[in-house]
Amino acid sequence: MKNTLLIIEDNQQNFYMMQFLLEKNGFNIIGAENGRDGIAKALLHRPQAILLDIQLPEMDGYAVAAELKKHSELNEVPIIAVTSYAMMGDRDRIIAAGATGYIEKPINPDTFVSQIKEYLPKKSY
Amino acid sequence: MTSDRGKKHYFYLFLYLSISFFTHLYSVIPSAQAAEKTVRVGIYENAPKVFTSESGKPSGIFIDIIESIAKDEGWRLQYVPGTWGEGLDRLIKGEIDLMPDVVHTSDRENIYSFHKVPVLTSWFQVYARKGSGIKSILDLHGKRITVLERSVQQEAFTRLAESFELKSIIIPLPDYQTIFERIVNGEADAAITNRFHGLVHAKKYGLEDTAIIFYPSELYFAAPKGANKNLLIAIDRHLTILKKNPQSIYYDSLKRWTSEDIQFKLPAWTKTIGMITGIILLTSLAVSIFLKHQVKKRIREINEMNEMLRASEKKYRELVMSANSIILRWTRDGRITFLNEFGQRFFGYTEKEILGRHVVGTIVPETESTGRDLRPLMEDILADPKKIERNINENMRRNGELVWIEWTNKIVLDEQNQIKEIMSIGLDITDRKHAEEEIHSLHNDLQRHAENLEKRVQERTAELAVAKEKAESADRLKSAFLATMSHELRTPLNSIIGFTGIMIKELAGPLNQEQHKQLGMVQNSSRHLLALINDVLDISKIEAGQLDLFLSSFELRQSIEAMTSLVSPLAEKKGLDLKVEIANDVERVTTDQRRLEQIILNLLNNAVKFTETGYVAVSCERGNGEYILSVTDTGIGIGEEEIPKLFHPFHQVDTGLARKHEGTGLGLSICRKLINIMSGSIDVRSQMGQGSTFTIRLPIEKGGSV
Repeated sequence: MKNTLLIIEDNQQNFYMMQFLLEKNGFNIIGAENGRDGIAKALLHRPQAILLDIQLPEMDGYAVAAELKKHSELNEVPIIAVTSYAMMGDRDRIIAAGATGYIEKPINPDTFVSQIKEYLPKKSY
Repeated sequence: MTSDRGKKHYFYLFLYLSISFFTHLYSVIPSAQAAEKTVRVGIYENAPKVFTSESGKPSGIFIDIIESIAKDEGWRLQYVPGTWGEGLDRLIKGEIDLMPDVVHTSDRENIYSFHKVPVLTSWFQVYARKGSGIKSILDLHGKRITVLERSVQQEAFTRLAESFELKSIIIPLPDYQTIFERIVNGEADAAITNRFHGLVHAKKYGLEDTAIIFYPSELYFAAPKGANKNLLIAIDRHLTILKKNPQSIYYDSLKRWTSEDIQFKLPAWTKTIGMITGIILLTSLAVSIFLKHQVKKRIREINEMNEMLRASEKKYRELVMSANSIILRWTRDGRITFLNEFGQRFFGYTEKEILGRHVVGTIVPETESTGRDLRPLMEDILADPKKIERNINENMRRNGELVWIEWTNKIVLDEQNQIKEIMSIGLDITDRKHAEEEIHSLHNDLQRHAENLEKRVQERTAELAVAKEKAESADRLKSAFLATMSHELRTPLNSIIGFTGIMIKELAGPLNQEQHKQLGMVQNSSRHLLALINDVLDISKIEAGQLDLFLSSFELRQSIEAMTSLVSPLAEKKGLDLKVEIANDVERVTTDQRRLEQIILNLLNNAVKFTETGYVAVSCERGNGEYILSVTDTGIGIGEEEIPKLFHPFHQVDTGLARKHEGTGLGLSICRKLINIMSGSIDVRSQMGQGSTFTIRLPIEKGGSV
């Protein structure tokens, strides 16, 4: 769905921050607190992009990315991992698992939205 | 020869006369002890020691001596004739006071009393017909031998024969005369008598003495047990004196009775010419002296012979009877037929008690303390003694004490070459056996200890494996902890930094100047806190050896330029000149890009931070297989004494500036650790007030050990 982004994030404050910044820039935000819920909502809403936290309860971000990639209808939907600096060593792993992009936490309010827009298909914006 | 015989005749005549003379003399002179006492003396026929002369008068050496003593002591002697056995019986019953010619033995000591000075020393000798061929004790095997009944000879010979395993037929007879007669008329083969008797009588019977002599003995007067003490004391006293004096009646009597031609009756005419010839005889005093000398010599020889006999007899006893080994003989049906003295003492049985009994149940228990059944062993030995020539088994003393004995078994064959008996010689090895058991038990202990030790080593190894596993899992736990910390600490900081940024940008609404300023402080502090957390996590990971490098090949120039551009806003703000000099041959490098950039950025930040005027310059050139990257500034510089501490954690030069220059104090320490992991090095040159140069050397290929 155009201008609709799915944020899979278990931390409510982080979710609210990203939602606040993105809604200010005209995006519709759908939230999911865990991987299973996120996969279900991605299939249901077909968002323009999925923002995926790696540290998630039960099913971690790698598993969620791998699962999402199994659904061909989501082939065009970029998965942007939003995760901590300390997890840098896992950059390759998360890309290998199917993520399109990678944004470090803590997010910078000045640059966050533009970073997201980098990963969206140009013509659709 | 003829003249010798003549001399002897004279001598005996002289003796006779002297004795008669003295006898008469004594009878006239009253005794010191006038109170007359009747002493009953047993006599029997054992010439020349004691016998009845043809005239019916008691005679012999013992008689001469007792009569001499009796005269001196004022005793009236009353002779009680009989056989040897009768004499002994009378002595027991107290019917006589003294019995002559009694050998002292320990058995007899129990039933008779003896004086102490022996009257005579004798031994036993075997006599046989001339040309009988009996030369040694072994020749007596199967022979008929006559001996005085109830005599010491009988006992001694019986024992001797047993120990030599002789099967002789012993014929006990009541008197010596018969003993010799039996041989003469062919009813016996050999006779045993004391040497005195043999000496005097053998030739008469046509017998000869053999070389078989045994049992040296001393002869005494015996009294009933506990009675006639005074008599015995008197006898001793007189004997001592008599024996000292070579001219005494003692030696006279000996000489008189031990000569071969004893004349019990003198021809009648000698009496009439006695006095005349007496004078002639005086002239033969010299001859007499010579003969006395001969007597002494003979006594000496006899004594020497006695001594030799005693020694050889003692030797024999030690060897066979008292050998320190058990000597046992037993029949094929297991009955004991012989056990030597040592064996008797050892097992605690008398001969009577043990002979004829079965070995099992007496000296051999049915089962050993080890549990071994000994009955089959005994049967095996009996069945084939050759097979079990040596065996060690437990034996039993009469008191139930168990002993270990090593036996050597030998077969004794009978005439038909059949196994008749088994002779077993046993050595007590109980002590050795116990020592062996001790060694065995010690060995077992040792083995058990060794096994314990091995078990403990295994347990310890298992414990160590568990500990190792624990340590490894603790390591994994630490990794997990660091990762969790990194996330958990950063997450709340994310919202602080994020929302502060949102508010400062007035995205959530307009701020007044003071709110703007204060939120800026919150933002600075939270960023500082984040840097601190990142550094602490980095250093923890490095120290735990858990910092993994992610190697990739990239353009070093681009990385240097990117990091420089990050500090350029701050340098610009401080009015510092930021120079970059990268040689043309600086190209790709293979290392952990992010970590290298972290180091470069750290050095640049420091340079800008500590420089107020002048410039900060970055240079990079290619060396021998390495890139040399330097960051130079014109800042405050570092004191010489500070340089060694520079790379230590939480060290920041000039604490006075700490407030002014933000930083965790971990930067350089992390830089050095990182560059070391990446197989590179870092050093510094500096001058206070002049500035500093930090130089990194980094391998071009594979910058890191991963």
